Amino acid sequence: MQRASSQPPPTFAVTESGDRLALKGALTIRTLAEVEHALQQWWKQRESRALDLGELESLDTPGALLLCTLHDHDVELTRVRPEHKALLDLVGGLDLKPLPKSPHIPRWRELIIQLGRGADEAWRDARDIVTFVGGVASAIGHALIHPGELRLPSISRQVTETGINALPIVGLLAVMISIVIAYQGVAQLRPYGGEDLTIDLVAVSVLREMGVLITAIMVAGRSGSAFTAEIGVMKSREEIDALKVMGLDPMVMLVVPRVIGIVITLPLLTFYADIMGLLGGGVIGKALLGVSPTQYLEHVRQAVDGSDFFVGLFKAPIFAFVIGVIGCMHGMRVRGSAESVGRETTRAVVKAIFLVIVLDALFSILFEKLGL
Amino acid sequence: MSGKRPRKAETILSARGIVNRFGKQEVHDKISLDVVRGEIFGIAGGSGSGKSVLLKTLTGLHQPNAGKVLLDGKTIETIGPAERASLIGVLFQQGALFSSLSVAQNVMLPIREYTDLSTPDQEKIAAMKLELAGMSAETGIKFPSELSGGMIKRAALARSLALDPEILFLDEPTSDLDPLTASGIDAMIGKLNQSLGVTVVVVTHDLTTLFTLCDRVGVLVDRKITIDTLDQLLRSDHPWIHEFLHGPRAQGAMTARKQIHGNR
Repeated sequence: MQRASSQPPPTFAVTESGDRLALKGALTIRTLAEVEHALQQWWKQRESRALDLGELESLDTPGALLLCTLHDHDVELTRVRPEHKALLDLVGGLDLKPLPKSPHIPRWRELIIQLGRGADEAWRDARDIVTFVGGVASAIGHALIHPGELRLPSISRQVTETGINALPIVGLLAVMISIVIAYQGVAQLRPYGGEDLTIDLVAVSVLREMGVLITAIMVAGRSGSAFTAEIGVMKSREEIDALKVMGLDPMVMLVVPRVIGIVITLPLLTFYADIMGLLGGGVIGKALLGVSPTQYLEHVRQAVDGSDFFVGLFKAPIFAFVIGVIGCMHGMRVRGSAESVGRETTRAVVKAIFLVIVLDALFSILFEKLGL
Repeated sequence: MSGKRPRKAETILSARGIVNRFGKQEVHDKISLDVVRGEIFGIAGGSGSGKSVLLKTLTGLHQPNAGKVLLDGKTIETIGPAERASLIGVLFQQGALFSSLSVAQNVMLPIREYTDLSTPDQEKIAAMKLELAGMSAETGIKFPSELSGGMIKRAALARSLALDPEILFLDEPTSDLDPLTASGIDAMIGKLNQSLGVTVVVVTHDLTTLFTLCDRVGVLVDRKITIDTLDQLLRSDHPWIHEFLHGPRAQGAMTARKQIHGNR
């Protein structure tokens, strides 16, 4: 509860003059509760049902509401000042009804309702994704058959935004991740005298998993959210409708360039993250194990083969497609307010990262079975 | 409030030498104005003339590059938050209702923060404020997204009245409304000004509001403000003001003014 410190608190007094009560001072929102309490105390002891307001100095609408309520309970208000009379008339003239109560729902029903709502939403979600993926695939297919309709400037802008601008952060993350793996490797392998295998560990895990996974998660957070927010704001400001009225397909204008852009960039970013990860491994190998750069390169060449590299890189465009489609789809699902843009953006990022990790797990199983 | 203090021609809000500039562009060049307690003061001007910036300056939301704003005799920066809340109420152009709260909760928020009243009492007061703003208490449980444009203005007005402010700032109260709803809002502002005695500063380019409601009008032209009663302004020979008040759209507003002045 905050109080005005510079303002003196308003005061009031309830006094008895002859056979009636008199209220003096201020009856405002700040003295309301105390005045009501004081008056009730007085009326408990006395018969008088009249209230003198001649000395009342200030009155606001909540105060007038109290006086009107008293008046309705057969309290006679006497010597009302003319300026207070107007206020009492105004408030007394209102058709006052209590605020409606929001209906009470028992907790077990609430639970079932939420469960049902969640299931319904999941079903709609799945249907939306399938429809949207179909739409995007058909639009991209159409664009590939008619390359003249591809919006190259738009694609190149997406490549800049999702790719080139992400280089510093993705590179830094890749180095950091390889440091984390290297430290863990050294600590765990040292008791067995296998510190040298740390290099194998870093190289294989960066190339196969970490490079692509970290890049995909970063891009989902950076660009997937941007897709949702950009398209969402356009949707809430009726820009999408404006496109449709002009006979332009928002799928072609907005979604296809973004999805193609991200599908181009993510593999390139992954390649870059792989290099940076191996570089980080080299630095940490020198620091922790005293391995020279040439030795390190030799060791890496023995530890990994082409399949490690291509298994990692193969996943990148698939993750990119998922991130792009989810981002654009949630952007298109924005309804009306700014609040909705925020909600859809959160959902898009969570869903994109979730799907990327699930897909990665599935790929791990698949490649194991294929013996790659 | 009429109840709090006897009404006399005292200044409640004054601005002295307000200068606002954004980059190289100067919006206000040493603007001064005085608002008298109990009056309805209109601020008019073309699009981009800095009406909204002036309103933000007067309410203390925008720090001017030079000059000061005195509210109730004190510079606006020195007034504490609680006192400021009980002095001024603002109706923002888009309503600015908190979208996660119901209409009644919107109105109750300042009451809850600044008083010790029990929840039933707060609810009673909120219901009354909604009625004062011309909404039925039943709409109290609705959320802002479920309201029409006119309802949003009324709900926002109810919230700005929550602590019975001495001075009410209205930013385009009738914009985006159909003529009937707009007239309803105008009439309600007039009624609240008369019965509550609240001083009103209204920023608008709705000529009908200016012609029928305002006691005095300040017109922002060329980075300066020209303040006078409407009758005087109508005789102004400044080309922009003349065009503004005598243009084709002013005719309807003039008719409305004649109608209303008959019974005012």
